[in-house]
Amino acid sequence: MASVHENLYFNPMMTNGVVHANVFGIKDWVTPYKISVLALLYDMTASKITLPERRRLNKLILPLQQGPDLTLGQFLKTVEECCPQTAYAVKLRMHEMADGELKDMEYFFSTLPTPFTAFDSEAYKTSVVGLFMRHMLLAYNKLSFSQVYKLYKSLQHYYHSHFPKPIDGQVSLPALAADDSEMDLTSTEDTVGDRIDKEESDSPLHESELRNDNTPSRGPLSQKQAEYFLARQAYLLKNDENKALKPAALQEELNNMLKFNPDFAEAHYLNYLNSMRVQDIFLSAHSLLHYFDRLILSGNEGKSNGDEGYGRSLRYAALNLASLHCRFGHYQQADMALQEAIRIAQESNDHVCLQHCLSWLYTLEQMRGSDSTVLTEDSVKMAAHFCLPYLASLGIQSLVQQGATQGKTAHKLMDALKDTDILHWKHSLSELIEISLAQTTSIWRMYGKSTMALQQAQLLLNMSSLEPVNFGVQQNNTEAFAVALCHLAELHAEQGLYSAVSEILLHLKEQFPPHSQHAKLWMLCDLKIQFDRHMHEGKYHLAEPLVTAISALNKTEGLYRKAQVLKALNRSTEAYSVLQRLQTHCEKTKCTEVVIRVMLSTAELHWESSGFSTALPLLLQALALARQHHLQSLASETLLHLAFTQLMLGVPQQALTVLHEAIEPVLAHGGVMDKGRALLLTARCQMAVAGFRPNGQGQADLHLAVLAADTLNEAAAYFSKLNCKERLRDVHYLQAQLHRSLGQTSQSNKSAMLFRLLDQELQSPAPPVSMRL
Amino acid sequence: MKMAALCAEFGDLAQIKKQLISVISLCKERGLLHSAKWASELAFSLDPLPKDKLPASPPFTEEDAQDLDALTLAKSYFDLKEYDRAAYFLKGCCSQKAYFLYMYSRYLSGEKKKDDETVDSLGPLEKGQVRNEALRELRVELSKKHIAGELDGFTLYLYGVVLRKLDLLKEAVEVFVEAIHALPLHWGAWLELSNLVTNIEMLKSLSLPDCWIKDFFMAHMYTELQMIKEALQKYQNLMEAGFSKSTYIISQIAVAYHNIRDIDQALALFNELREQDPFRIDNMDTFSNLLYVKSMKPELSYLAHNLVEIDKYRVETCCVIGNYYSLRSQHEKAALYFQRALKLNPRCLGAWTLMGHEYMEMKNTSAAIQAYRHAIEVNKRDYRAWYGLGQTYEILKMPFYCLYYYRKAHQLRPNDSRMLVALGESYEKLSQQLEAKKCYWRAYSVGDVEKMALLKLAKLHEQLNEYDDAAQCYMLYIQDIFSCGEQLEHAEVSTALRYLGQYYFKNKLYDEASLCAQRCCDYNDAREEGKALLRQISLVRDQIETPSADLFAPLSNNNTPVRRVSPLNLISFTP
Repeated sequence: MASVHENLYFNPMMTNGVVHANVFGIKDWVTPYKISVLALLYDMTASKITLPERRRLNKLILPLQQGPDLTLGQFLKTVEECCPQTAYAVKLRMHEMADGELKDMEYFFSTLPTPFTAFDSEAYKTSVVGLFMRHMLLAYNKLSFSQVYKLYKSLQHYYHSHFPKPIDGQVSLPALAADDSEMDLTSTEDTVGDRIDKEESDSPLHESELRNDNTPSRGPLSQKQAEYFLARQAYLLKNDENKALKPAALQEELNNMLKFNPDFAEAHYLNYLNSMRVQDIFLSAHSLLHYFDRLILSGNEGKSNGDEGYGRSLRYAALNLASLHCRFGHYQQADMALQEAIRIAQESNDHVCLQHCLSWLYTLEQMRGSDSTVLTEDSVKMAAHFCLPYLASLGIQSLVQQGATQGKTAHKLMDALKDTDILHWKHSLSELIEISLAQTTSIWRMYGKSTMALQQAQLLLNMSSLEPVNFGVQQNNTEAFAVALCHLAELHAEQGLYSAVSEILLHLKEQFPPHSQHAKLWMLCDLKIQFDRHMHEGKYHLAEPLVTAISALNKTEGLYRKAQVLKALNRSTEAYSVLQRLQTHCEKTKCTEVVIRVMLSTAELHWESSGFSTALPLLLQALALARQHHLQSLASETLLHLAFTQLMLGVPQQALTVLHEAIEPVLAHGGVMDKGRALLLTARCQMAVAGFRPNGQGQADLHLAVLAADTLNEAAAYFSKLNCKERLRDVHYLQAQLHRSLGQTSQSNKSAMLFRLLDQELQSPAPPVSMRL
Repeated sequence: MKMAALCAEFGDLAQIKKQLISVISLCKERGLLHSAKWASELAFSLDPLPKDKLPASPPFTEEDAQDLDALTLAKSYFDLKEYDRAAYFLKGCCSQKAYFLYMYSRYLSGEKKKDDETVDSLGPLEKGQVRNEALRELRVELSKKHIAGELDGFTLYLYGVVLRKLDLLKEAVEVFVEAIHALPLHWGAWLELSNLVTNIEMLKSLSLPDCWIKDFFMAHMYTELQMIKEALQKYQNLMEAGFSKSTYIISQIAVAYHNIRDIDQALALFNELREQDPFRIDNMDTFSNLLYVKSMKPELSYLAHNLVEIDKYRVETCCVIGNYYSLRSQHEKAALYFQRALKLNPRCLGAWTLMGHEYMEMKNTSAAIQAYRHAIEVNKRDYRAWYGLGQTYEILKMPFYCLYYYRKAHQLRPNDSRMLVALGESYEKLSQQLEAKKCYWRAYSVGDVEKMALLKLAKLHEQLNEYDDAAQCYMLYIQDIFSCGEQLEHAEVSTALRYLGQYYFKNKLYDEASLCAQRCCDYNDAREEGKALLRQISLVRDQIETPSADLFAPLSNNNTPVRRVSPLNLISFTP
């Protein structure tokens, strides 16, 4: 039975098998909303309005013309906020048309000022208003008889859905107050607090338009409106994901759009971006291919930059597929897609596309963990040759990153970054400026200059957006911001400011919800901080479960942390084997930082078995590596280790000189823990040099002993900041002894009491004080 | 209802005929033309009944008598497609028949207006928004009556249609099942239900009345769900039960054979169908596909001309003509006719795909892609369109890109060797030999239609220096080719024989080698090499038989190095 009334319709848009959405070249169609905008414009030109109100209305014109269709209530409310008098006039005019007859609408269109006659008014033919009016008039005149009737019907519907029909034929305009309250109800529904204050200054329309976006069942959008919607959402997805629609809502919106216009290819692309957000490889691949299938058709007409558009989109289709696989970590697939893109680009001599391919190629190599310096250098050279500043400086940034891990000298890296910065500002590549700042932060941190890192991070975070779309609005939702914020959190954690850290992490969680792309950054950062904290406080059982979580996010880091926990739990053999494994792995991947840290941990293991002399060569090697790569914090850490070993080997004098070298950078840049440890070690060295014996025998150098007591006090302050009880216990023990030997009995007793209290609390037997740094 | 008498084993054909005759008149009175047509076709295939056995007309109630005049008037308006007018005069009638016609004309009026609207909508973006406005009201009224239990089989069916149009599919299925229980003989309700059943599990879960018509439904469903073997079995049973003359069953079997690509069987059946029912247009597009595949130009031309004479403005006719021009390599004209078919019915799936093929032939890849995409939009499960897209990108030399499309096609038809071979070829181009091998082997194991998979597999093994595997594949290939009997154009038996000859020679199996070489001589392109090989074999045999004075000769023969010498080197040894 189904075939009896199978659609008999014939598609007039189709010629030669290709559907043209737009045979008459008209992008605008008259809708009831457009009529109300026309009424507004008409009233604006006709009546006298005070200057401030006129200014406000003028600001409204463009968003009203280009935005999506609003309901009558929303429209009237926005107008009313600017000028109640005009709003009333518009309402009256709409009422006349909707409650009258078809001829009233026809009359309205005939009375519109023709843009060709009105020379001195705003509706002159070349003005924004005039152009819009001409479009509308043209579209209206093209309507057939039944279409005009239909338009009138929908106008009535539009009007009466806001103002219900009076029952007893009594012609009355609803009171203004009534619809105001209704609007308030709807507006409180889903406007998020922070959104209001940001956009209120902009224009009242923004807010209502966002609200409109959230309503599920919406009429069709005109082509321009759809384009605007897509462009805005795509921009938000890239720069400020939280402000974009939620993935599910956006998906629904897009489905809706595609239902009304299946030929709207860009919607498929947005669909692809949206699916990437939720890590849906199936749907994103599907949408991407669909988009390019569609694009290939339309590409025939748009011959941008001179070469045939259709081959061009093929190349980029393959390239996009490569990036998709890259994003999902399918490196082999990505490689094949990339090879294909390169081949097609080569065949058609498209250097720009080739250049893009090249930059993807080195990214891919990098992601796979192999060395891609040569490729990157080539890419930079070629990009500079073809005048592609974005790719060129992206390449330089990538080179800087590689150079930093491979131990290039600092001034070279900084020079390179400075050069790219000039390029960025010249071409106002705001995205790259952000990346550059974040990179500088990372580099400074790697070198152990925490103050510089802090300053750069603050610089980035306080910078306003340079994007033309929301210029001057402070926004932080790109990867660069995430990186900077993570650094900030870690820097604060180092200083023991845990409340600040938790605030920063809370902000990160809000800005980058767990499902989003960059969420892994703060997750790892959060875990690392928690781990360190537990380790400092000696709660190893709490640190242990975090190891699995860390290794899920970063395998190398996880392995290293595992070794640390094992070491703390005195499971030395296991720890040793883990460290060995890690060292070979990191030497292969040239992860110098971890190599040095592994060496230090191994040395600590040697201490535990009193193998101080065996630890020495290891430490020296580590020191050499750290100096070679300019890793200052690690170098000073190594020096501390070295000094400790020397102390244990019975050359405290030597140890003290070594310490003098390290103590300055540690106090300047190090974390609280490092400072405390350094001071504790200094005190012990001083005590040893002073000839101090634990049992109080022998003649001690009093002057040095007093100095040591001061140092111990300072160290105790640092340790108590971190609540590091084990070390505090050591400090108090040493203090008690020192004071006793100095004959200050009361202070000695006090320290002894503190020691006793801590010892009881900790329960675990104190490790021999000599065995740890 | 009376007619719903159970009759599962088709014992009583006369009873079935009686039921059919009475349902035909019921459907006709209500303007359900297609169901009436189906039932009449089936009734025609059964033996005529004697006069006294004809079914009595249904009882004429008081209500019917009251509504008689209005009903007659409205029916005549209805037949003239003046639906609103018919509905107006039926308003207030209380008999079941009148009520159905009243609701049905309101429904059809809404549909007609919807179609008219689409042409002059307020802009292209409104296109998808045009709706049958009457649907919602109809639903409200019908659901009230439904709850009250006042709906008969026909009105239940209408209610189901309304629900389906409103995309309330779950409810629609329930209502259709109910309608079938109330009136099992109404084929339209079964057909609507079949459109809503998506998989075999769903089919099994439905509780259907145990009527003879259920077997027709099951057979139809199996065909839809691509379970061809079961469908054929069902139809066979029906034929044996006494419906052997039914054109409906013959056409269904033919379509089923077409789906499993048993071309000869399908052709025979279609020819039979044409004899019995020369003015039939339904299913003729499928027939023309078969003729096209077999390149039977005169038959196709005859069919096309014949159909044009019957009715040239039918979708099927346009498709047949399109196929005809395509076979004559007049692709532009072919595309034109497929376009015409699409203008007649834009939801005609086959035409989109076929048009895609035509554009491919014309090297208009972008139009081809668009056509295929449209086909996919109409039906996501159209494997031919996915395959076509894959081919398009393959032609554009994007082997990795086309993998996705071939995979899609393969997913939809897991046991079709063509997709597997295409996948294998793409993998080969991407130098993913391992995957390619898997694809070819799988293609062979699911039954290779084009007989190309083994050859390709063998060549792949040859490339990878896996001599034993390659030989194995060539052997299988030759067996395969000869077992299927007919000569295939692209068969490369000579290549296989040539390789096997060399292979046996290298392995010193001279008897087999000479056999292959002799067979080689049957083919023009391999004759010279065959002869050369034969000479070599005889040379080597001589050497073995007459132990030569040369001390090294036996050594070099028995040693492995000989096996490693490539065929080319061997040839250069010969004088």
